[in-house]
This record gives sequence, structure tokens and C-alpha cells, in this order.
Amino acid sequence: MDRAHWDLIQELFHRAADLPRDQQISFLQAACNNDESLLNDVFALLEEDSQQNSLLDRNLAQVAQHVVGGSFSGSPPEAFGPYRIKRIIGEGGMGLVYLAEREDLGTEVAIKILRDAWLSPSRRERFASEQRTLAPLNHPFIARLYDADSLSDGTPWFAMEYVEGVPLTEYCKAHNLSISDRLKLFCSVCEAVKFAHSHAVIHRDLKPSNILVKSDGTVRLLDFGIARQLETLSGPTSQANLDHTMTGLRLMTPAYASPEQAKGARVGIQTDVYSLGVILYELLTDRLPFDLSNLTPAEAVSVIETQDPAKPSLSARSALSDGVQARVFDSPEWADLDVLCLTAMHKDMSRRYASVEALTRDVNHFLDDEPLEAHADTVRYRVGKFVRRNRQPVIAASIVLAAIVGLTIFFTARLAIARNAALAEAARTQRIQRFTLNLFQGGDEAAGPADDLKVVALLDRGVQEAKALDADPEMQAQLYQTLGSVYHKMGKFEQADSLLHLALERHKQLHGPDHADVAEDLVAIGLLRSDQAELEESERLVRQGLEMSKKHLPANHPTVARATSALGLVLENRGNYEQALQVLSEAARLESAPGGDAADLAATLTELANCHFYAGDYEAADALNRRVLEMDRQLYGPGHPHIADDLINLGAIQSQWEHYKEAEVFNRQALDITQAWYGKDNPETASAATILGRTLINLGRLDEAESLLQQALSVQEHFYGKVHPRVASALSDLGKVALQRGKLEEARADFTRMEEIYREVYGEKHYLIGVALSNLGTVELEEKQYPRAETVLREAVNKFTEALSPTHFNTGVARIKLGRALLRQRRYSDAEAESLAGYKVLSSQSNPSNLWLNYAREDLAAIYSGLGQPDKARQFQTELTASAKK
Amino acid sequence: MASQNFSAGSGSERLAIDGHQDRHALDQLFSITYEELRRLASTVRRGDPSATLNPTALVNEVWLKLSHSGPPVASSQLHFKRIAARAMRQLLVEAARRRGANKRGGVAAYTPVTLDETIMAAATQQDVLALDRALEELARLHPRQALMVESRFFGGLDIPETAALLDISEATVLRDWRAAKAWLARELKREH
Repeated sequence: MDRAHWDLIQELFHRAADLPRDQQISFLQAACNNDESLLNDVFALLEEDSQQNSLLDRNLAQVAQHVVGGSFSGSPPEAFGPYRIKRIIGEGGMGLVYLAEREDLGTEVAIKILRDAWLSPSRRERFASEQRTLAPLNHPFIARLYDADSLSDGTPWFAMEYVEGVPLTEYCKAHNLSISDRLKLFCSVCEAVKFAHSHAVIHRDLKPSNILVKSDGTVRLLDFGIARQLETLSGPTSQANLDHTMTGLRLMTPAYASPEQAKGARVGIQTDVYSLGVILYELLTDRLPFDLSNLTPAEAVSVIETQDPAKPSLSARSALSDGVQARVFDSPEWADLDVLCLTAMHKDMSRRYASVEALTRDVNHFLDDEPLEAHADTVRYRVGKFVRRNRQPVIAASIVLAAIVGLTIFFTARLAIARNAALAEAARTQRIQRFTLNLFQGGDEAAGPADDLKVVALLDRGVQEAKALDADPEMQAQLYQTLGSVYHKMGKFEQADSLLHLALERHKQLHGPDHADVAEDLVAIGLLRSDQAELEESERLVRQGLEMSKKHLPANHPTVARATSALGLVLENRGNYEQALQVLSEAARLESAPGGDAADLAATLTELANCHFYAGDYEAADALNRRVLEMDRQLYGPGHPHIADDLINLGAIQSQWEHYKEAEVFNRQALDITQAWYGKDNPETASAATILGRTLINLGRLDEAESLLQQALSVQEHFYGKVHPRVASALSDLGKVALQRGKLEEARADFTRMEEIYREVYGEKHYLIGVALSNLGTVELEEKQYPRAETVLREAVNKFTEALSPTHFNTGVARIKLGRALLRQRRYSDAEAESLAGYKVLSSQSNPSNLWLNYAREDLAAIYSGLGQPDKARQFQTELTASAKK
Repeated sequence: MASQNFSAGSGSERLAIDGHQDRHALDQLFSITYEELRRLASTVRRGDPSATLNPTALVNEVWLKLSHSGPPVASSQLHFKRIAARAMRQLLVEAARRRGANKRGGVAAYTPVTLDETIMAAATQQDVLALDRALEELARLHPRQALMVESRFFGGLDIPETAALLDISEATVLRDWRAAKAWLARELKREH
């Protein structure tokens, strides 16, 4: 059909349509002029027009129901990993929640799936980020994440604790709990929220139906579905979008929403404080502060923003007259409860309790009949005032909390990635963890440069705060130490150095030169030196710190274990694997003892595995890394960068075994995790990409490898400058790609830069210089520059022999290469010594068809021919042929 | 008028309606449209008597949510509705296609409860795919009519809005709609 014909059909259709039915046929017969097909076409349209029952006459809602909806109580397709589905327990915009059972353990879990994951990356990202949010929240009062994976059709799912319980308010009513019992229950809710905050997660949807009380009387906090939004970060704009779009009242239960949420303004930890205030109000009075039930959304927003709630005491009294169980509280007590509740619910977020901790403190003051802190001056929301007023020793963290929170209270979601990274690194001790949290609660409203720079800005502000704390040198010193370590983790060595020295000075002034606190500073500075490649100084300082700790602390104290582990790490960095193994084993023993820190233990075991790896004992390294992977999954959840590190280590072992396909699997998993955590253009992601690139080279996929590596190199140079081991690492692999492509000049340039960087960073003795030299040796061999090849390869052999061991894999490879350089110069006896030594090293630890072994066999056959020993020559020739056949 | 820039018609064309559209904004449009659709579907299923949501309300809802956020996905509400209609169409077609594929591949994640529902759902999915194909054919014959059907059926535009969008009189909209609807209904039957 063409346009003209269609126009004709329509013309006739419209003219006939208005005629009575019985006249239509005769009209058409006349009009169509015996054109049967035209008549049939028009008539068919008239038929349809009269019936009105096609898809287009149906409501889009019905259509949608059948296409994206459907009922979901049928049997699901597959088991989810080890979980067998029992039934559906919930359904939302994102997906479904099933009740499932883990058959081998008999435990029940809730499984959440993302429906139609194909639809859009932002939905997948939001789903993934809820999972990421939950992963580190390992707390008895928070329903925890167990497992996550996806179905074969790509549907992602995760399994979490299934909580059978009653909403908080219903539980209190049903059990007719007293005010003080209600407050105690409320405190455990606060504890869970506080824990989430300490992991930089704001819940944003706290309400009784998200807080269940189990039959044993313990609470469980659920549903971080909105909280996850803060974690989502695929770019600054998108974050702003998501936040504005998702934080509006629409997704919240208005009754518990704070004014800033109602407005769609930025939220902070005080947003959760507000919702807790409403919950407290309801627990005290059995009523909500505002009756929003018959209001339009706009009216509700206005009430939340402008109306003051009735005092709980009044509300409770009127509830009482409504027949609610009488609770005898005389008026001073109710006055306290009024202040408590209304301070938590203050419309101005800066005048609420500055943290859940502060709120809990006042609840406990109330329970203990002590005066409330909130009485002093509503909330102490100004730092200066607070610090001036509080001369009494308060633990360091709580002052910093108030100080930094007081400055600015907006939690900036844009910081999420940098914050995650810093938190992950800094979460080693509770103090640091707390500190970082406080740091990131201070936010910076102004749009600024890259996220990490903003973190630095916050840290700098933290330093200013610390410097102002002259009145409390003890706390100041601790802060300096903490800040110094955070700067160290962030690679800001200069700032780290000056702060750690300030901490050391303060501690010495306070306690003299020989004290446990001084010891901690020494270890911290020692570890910094190790990353600054001042290894001798590093070892000296850490040893000194360790001895001092042992003197002042019990042998099983976590600080002693940590210092021991630090020494092991430094020894490892020095290439002293034998001693490192001993020291690290000792640290692991201390940390495995009851009361030892599991996270510290996992870190120590990782270093142990690394030592085994560098010493060439891959079996031992593999076993340890697998154990650490399990531990870390328990400790941090499946999406944490530690998991990526473990996977990278496991991949490296597979590569040593030449199982490159397996290595690729590990490397890709690691890259996915890293990228999800840190984002794309991040040095950590670049490092993971470099490692994958390396494996792809081994698999001969050079194009893929090169594009990954180029990208990684530019990210690393951007972040770390031109002279940094991370840059060298990317260069090393780019050089290999160039080499394999026969672009020898390019390869030489890459390897030379790599060598220079390592010399500059690590001094002369590091084995990595040997790696660069060995690579350069290959370039020289390819260019047939045999004397030059001999020189660099000899130096490589020496570096490896000293820094690693004479029997290390790398030493063996370098000797085989050196043997070839000598053979090509027809120096058969010299060549025999090197090739044979290399051959022996490798044949004891490699697969017999190893590439390098074959090179050695080929060369040895030629060498023995040259030496006039045809029997031996034949022997290696036969071996070579046999190996090549495989 | 903004609509003049649109390439009307072809259903297989991805949502590249404006060259300079922010990809992320479109992604969000998709997500939110989808979630609204699901909400719509579930109110129908529950037989919720207060469920007043229709495509018009749905698209308005999506508009409200998106208009507060970041770079504008569209220059006006009408422009937006046009884009949303396209998004809705693509979404339903893609969902129908995948549901169908899932059944064949045996990895269907979701199974309706009753036989009736199964048949209805399968028929609707087929219909949506057939409508998509028929709309493409219509776009070849008469692009304006195809755009009109898409906007009205998938985007819930009312007569005056459609007239404004297409820059034609309301009477023309009514005429075109009637003819196009009858023609599409017949095409749908032919496919069965």
C-alpha cells in the first residue's frame, strides 16, 4: 500500500462511517467502482471501527499489567544459588522479595531481586548500591546481607537476614511496655542507626514498620532501600538528580519525614535524628506529632515545615483521656521528655542533637536521673561554645563529632566514593573509624573540584580543629596521629609526616619519651617511611615502637599485635621474606587469640601470603589467600575493595601457574568490584585494570590489553605524577605489548622509564629494578645487541639473587635470558652455566612445557653442540620436541 | 515548534530524539517510567478502587519527578510527553519481547498464576509487538498518524495536546485517530 491508496481508503472510510449501517455497503459499492480490494479494505476498517475492541481501546494500565506486571506468586525459575524459594513476601517498584531457605543449613533468608534489570543502568546501579550499603553493616540490630549474585538471565539478587517480628510501636503497645522499657528499646534502635552512621550510611526512611522487634525482644533495622541512594554515584550530575528525585516525600512515609526531606533539600545524619525523634514521640504518646492523614502532599509538606508539634506531655495527656493506659510521670520528668523529643525534632537541623550518639546520651541521662545535655542551651550547636564549656575530659571522638558536625552538617553524597575509600582504609581502629565518619559529616556545599580533593579539604579543616584544641593536648595528640594516618593512607606523605611528628612531640611532652602512645606514633611514622621507600629507617622505627609497646602493654594487647604485623610488613617490603614470615606468623598468632581483631588478622594473613608468593611458595600463598578471601567476605561483605585485593592475589598465583584463563576470571571480578566501589577514573580501578591487562597479554589479546593499559597509565599519571610505582607498573605491561608487537623502541622506552622510576622510588636493591632490567634484556636480545643484553641481564640476575633468592622464578628466567645473550656471542661455557642454572630453577617449580624452559632447552641443545657434546645436545633436543608436542 | 524536529514513526529507532540529550537523563526517564508503569500495573491487579492512574496521570507523574532534577530532558512539558510516550512504547515493546524470549529460553523469571492470566498476558505481549510493527508500517504510510497514535496511546496525550503537538486542528486529530485506530486494529488481527 502507498500513501495515495491509504488516503483514498481513509476518504471513503470517513464518508461511509457517518452513514447508517445499511447504507454503507451500497455507498461503498458505488464509490469503489468494482474495485473489490478497495471495498474490502474500507469495509474491514468500518468493521473494526464499530467493534472498538482492539488493543488500542484498552487501558494502558491493563496492557502494562500484562507486559511488565503479571502475578508473581508462581514458582520462580531457578533456585537462587543455594537458596530454595518458599514464597513471595514483598513487591516494590524495583523488584520482588522472596522468602527462601538455605537447604544445607536450614536457615531462612529474604531474597531481593531486581526485576527487569536490563531496563537501565541506573536501576542496576541503585540495586547494587543498596547491596553495597548493606554489606559493611554487620551489626546484631541490623538485618544483614548474606550473599549476592545474579541469575543466568542477568537478574541480580541478594540474600539477607529474614526477620520475623512486629513493628516497634505495635510491639510496645501489645506488651504494654513502661516508658523506661520503651526508652531502652529505643536506645537499641539508636545503636543500630549509629552503627550505620559510623559506616557513613544514612537510613533516611526510619519508621516503626522498618524497625521490627523479634519475639526475643531484640530489634532489627530493615530496608536501606532509600539509604542506598547516597551510595549511588555515577557522576556528579546524576547524583544530584537522584538525590532530588528520590528524596522527595513521595518515597518516604510523610509522618516520619524531616523538614529537609519534605523540602527536597540535602539530608544529613540529623535527618535520621529527626525521624528517631518522631518515633520517640510516638513511643511516648502513642500518637504521631502531626496528623497528616487527610492532607494533600503539598499541605503535608507545609505542616512538616512550619507547624510545631504539641509537646509530648500534652499529647500523652490527651491520649490518656482517650483511654490509653495511664503512665504515671510527674511533671519534671515529662518536661525532660518534652525537651528530649523536641530537640531531636527541631526544624532547624543544626539545632537538633548533633548525632544519634548525643541523642542516646540524653536518653540515658534521663533514665539515670541526670540532667539533660539538651537543657543547657537547646543543642550545643556551635563548636566554640561547646569546646569552651566542656573542659571536663570527654572522649576525643565525641568532641570532634560535635565540632565537625557543628560546622556544617550536610552529608554530601558527592563524597561517597572518596569517603568509602577513606573509610575502608581508615576503619582499622574504632577511633579512626569514628573520626573519619565525623569528618565526612562535615560537608561542603559549594561545588568543588574532584572528590578526593574535597576530602583533603575536610581533612585540612580537621587539622585546623585539632590545632585549636590546645586546652586538651592529650586529645590533640591523638587527633594528630589519626589525621596523620589518614593522610598517609591517602598518599599525602608530607602532611602525614608533619602531623605524625606533631603527635610524637605532644605525646613525648605529656608522657616522656618512653610510653605506649609514643610507641604507636613511632610505628605510624615507620609505616609511612616504608611507603616513602626509606626502608632502613622504617625498620628501625617500627622495631623501636614494637619494643616500647611490649614494655608497656600486655603481650596480647592488640596494639602489640598490630606493631608486630607492621614490622612483618616492613621486612617484607625490604625483601627479607624469611624473617618477615616469622614475624608475621607471630602477629597472626597474637591476633588469632581470643580478643584478637579479625580484621587485623586478615590483613596479617594477606601479608603472610604475599611473603610466600614472593618467596616462590605458591601453594602456601594460594591456601592463605583463599582463607583470607573467606574471612574478608565475612568481615566486609562481597563488594568491598579488600575482596578485590584478595581476588587479585589469587589471580597472580594462577598466572604464576600459567592458568591465565583462571587468572582472567579473578582479575575481572576484582576489576568489577573496584570499579563499582571507586568509580571509573580512579587509580585503584586503574591498577585493577592494569592487572587484567597483564593477563590479557599472556592470553595474547593485545588490543584489549593495550587499551586497558593506556587508560590506566593516564589515570595513574594524573593522580600520582610521572614518577610513581603505579605508573611503572602500567609501563611494564605496555612495554610488553610493544615488545610482542615488535615495536622495540617503544618497548625500550617504557622499560627504561620503569627502571628509572623504581630506582628513584626504591633505591638500588629492590627486586622490581630487576624486573625492569630483565625486560630491557629481552628488548636487547630482540635487537641482537648481545653485549648490551648481557650487561643488563647480569645486573637483573644480581638484583633478583639478592632481593629475592637464587632459586626464585625471576632469577631463573633472567639466567635463561642471560644464557641466550652469551650463546649468541658463542661463549658456550659461560652460556652453559647460566642456561643450565636457570633451567634447574624453573624445572623444579614450573610446568614442564613452560615457555622459558623450552627456551632453555633450545639454547642448551645449541650450547652443547657448540661445546662438542652431541649426546647432551640431543638429550635437550628430545626434551624440547616432547614438550613442544604437548 | 519543538515537535518539528522529531523523526516521527519508526519504532525500532532508539530514543535518540534529540541529538544533545543527556544519556543519563534518558536513563532516568526510563527507570522512572518503568517504576510508574509497575505501580500502575499493580494497582490494576489489586483491583484497587482508588486507582485512578491512567497514562496521562502516569506521564504527568514522571514529568513531575524529572522536572525537578538536573539537566532538563525536554524543553517543555509537551515536548517531554512526546519523549515519554516514545519511552513508554519502547519499554513495553522491549518488555514484551523479553518476556516472550524468556518463555522460549526457559529462563523465565516470572510465571503468572492462572491459565487465564497466562493466556491474557501472552496475548497482550503478542499484541504489543504486533502494534509496534503495525505502527512502523503506519509511519511509512503516514508519519503524523503514527506519531499521533504513539502519543495518545502510550503517552496519554489528550486531544488538545495532540493537536498542539502535531500543529493540526482537533477535528483532524479525531478523524486521524479514528482511521488509524481502525487500520491498526485490522493489522493486529491479521497477525493473529
